[in-house]
Amino acid sequence: MITDDVRAIWCRELRRDHIADDQNFFALGGQSLIMARIQGAFADELGVEVPMDRLFLNPTIASISAYIGSLDSMAPPHRT
Amino acid sequence: MILQGKRVDLPPEPVVHRRFEAHAEATPDAVAVFCAGRRMTYAELNAEANRFAYVLLARGHGRGAKVGICLDYSIDMLVAVLGTLKAGAAYVPLDPAYPAARLRLLLGQIPDLALIVASPATAPLVASSSAEVVDLGRLPGPSAGHPDTGPDVRVTGDDVCYAVFTSGSTGTPKLTAIRHEGWFNLLNWLTDEYGLHRGSHHLVVSAFGFDLSQRSLMAPLFCGATQHLMASRNVDVMMAYRMLTDHDIRVVHCASSTLYLLVDRETARGGDALARLDYLLFGGEPLKSERIADWAAREGTTCTLLHQYGVAECTDVATSYDLAGQRPGDGQAAPVGRPAYNTDILLLDEQLRGVAPGERGEICIAGTGVGAGYLNGSGPESERFTSVEVDGVPRRLYRTGDRGYVTEAGDLVVLGRIDAQVKIRGMRIDPADVERALGRLAGVREAAVVVAPAESGEAELTAFVVPEGDVLAEDEVREGLLRSLPRNMVPARFVGIAHIPLSPHGKVDRAALLDAIRSGPDSRGTAA
Repeated sequence: MITDDVRAIWCRELRRDHIADDQNFFALGGQSLIMARIQGAFADELGVEVPMDRLFLNPTIASISAYIGSLDSMAPPHRT
Repeated sequence: MILQGKRVDLPPEPVVHRRFEAHAEATPDAVAVFCAGRRMTYAELNAEANRFAYVLLARGHGRGAKVGICLDYSIDMLVAVLGTLKAGAAYVPLDPAYPAARLRLLLGQIPDLALIVASPATAPLVASSSAEVVDLGRLPGPSAGHPDTGPDVRVTGDDVCYAVFTSGSTGTPKLTAIRHEGWFNLLNWLTDEYGLHRGSHHLVVSAFGFDLSQRSLMAPLFCGATQHLMASRNVDVMMAYRMLTDHDIRVVHCASSTLYLLVDRETARGGDALARLDYLLFGGEPLKSERIADWAAREGTTCTLLHQYGVAECTDVATSYDLAGQRPGDGQAAPVGRPAYNTDILLLDEQLRGVAPGERGEICIAGTGVGAGYLNGSGPESERFTSVEVDGVPRRLYRTGDRGYVTEAGDLVVLGRIDAQVKIRGMRIDPADVERALGRLAGVREAAVVVAPAESGEAELTAFVVPEGDVLAEDEVREGLLRSLPRNMVPARFVGIAHIPLSPHGKVDRAALLDAIRSGPDSRGTAA
């Protein structure tokens, strides 16, 4: 499940044991450097390049997972 | 102690857009800008900018007017910037990554705001202003009766070209104004000293509202090169890195904290696009040399690394240092080097007397780059612009509030701040500005914000909050701030506290708060 992979990366980078699907990245203390690390982890571990603007527009595990899921079902414009 | 920059004559009218116009005349078909798959030649960009200048002039917004630009990085952004300058007006960058509430506060600080340029995507952010909002995409076409040639408004080197917001110690952001002569001098120095030239491809990786972005935006157009803009509202290191290889970028302009991320990316992926650039120009905050040392010392790193220092009030860059592959000693600050052309660095004591060579003093900047001061009123920061007699001659200068010394080799080293101001990810932040926003939130009775290094060694804000109720609702306070402040200004940590400790003089006792951070086993606990 993409959601589980995303959650594992978020928990690691935000240093939290549990993050719910609808918790907001910024309310969890996230900032742009952490988001940049998450972007790198998505590329290196999930093989998907997500633009920073998309990450900021989807600041929950639920919404960014849905976005990544939609990339998977399309022709892969940014697969690495 | 004075470090003197080389004296270089400027043209009688040192006006930045004239240099761009000369390139449009000489090399009309050269590509001026690439963005999101679109390109525009110098001739086309010049014609578009002329068209916008006529629109401004037709509305009566000419010399001395202020034009707000709230756009994402785009070709239109350059059209708006150049058109504003051609009309003789000054532009104020308004970062669309900021919350609408912050932009409302900033817009209210621009005196005589003539007009705001926005896109359909950004217009809602500036809807609070009473000024007219213009979408360049909906302007009348070239056939609307204006000639293709420029409006030829007379502009002098003393006219204001742009003004940027910086965080202020009173809690109100200051709008600092820059003169054409200072900007021309800076761009001329970068171009001549480092041989930036036509045909070179530049990339900007910083937010539009930053002071350093103004220089980065204009540098390629000043030297006849090609500007590449990232179609991204937020700094996107992955996209930037991809552009390095896709577009054969030769010169990158960014903040130090962005450079670390670019270096990390290159190191993790084993590439060499960054290492093989011609120039990397970075600064805006103290450099953590250890973050780039291994990468810089690699055999394949041939890029010239220019570590730059300056302040928004004095046209962004005042000094530059070529790191030249050398590794600064452990724990030693990397020098920021020597002054730009026509710029002097003075190290003064509290009585504004020069310190002896090698001694520490406040870094003061004199010369062509000293700006026109603040546009939104006086206030304590205005006193930083002052005059000092040097060898019997009065010199206008700006006291930066940074401490530093000059090495035996004659290079400036910056040691830190005299006051509480801090740079976080390239953004200059005064804790008072954050305290003011905190104080306006429901649920907050009182707040104090202090700067302390995080585990990573980078500066971080901690907010001590006296809640209205018994318990601090941290998430609510954080979300409230995110609605009213740029993200970099939102503290990393919030600590509930029963009362803010005061010094015997009745001021916030910041030393006691810093002690509470150091001694607290858990940052989320209750201190004091």
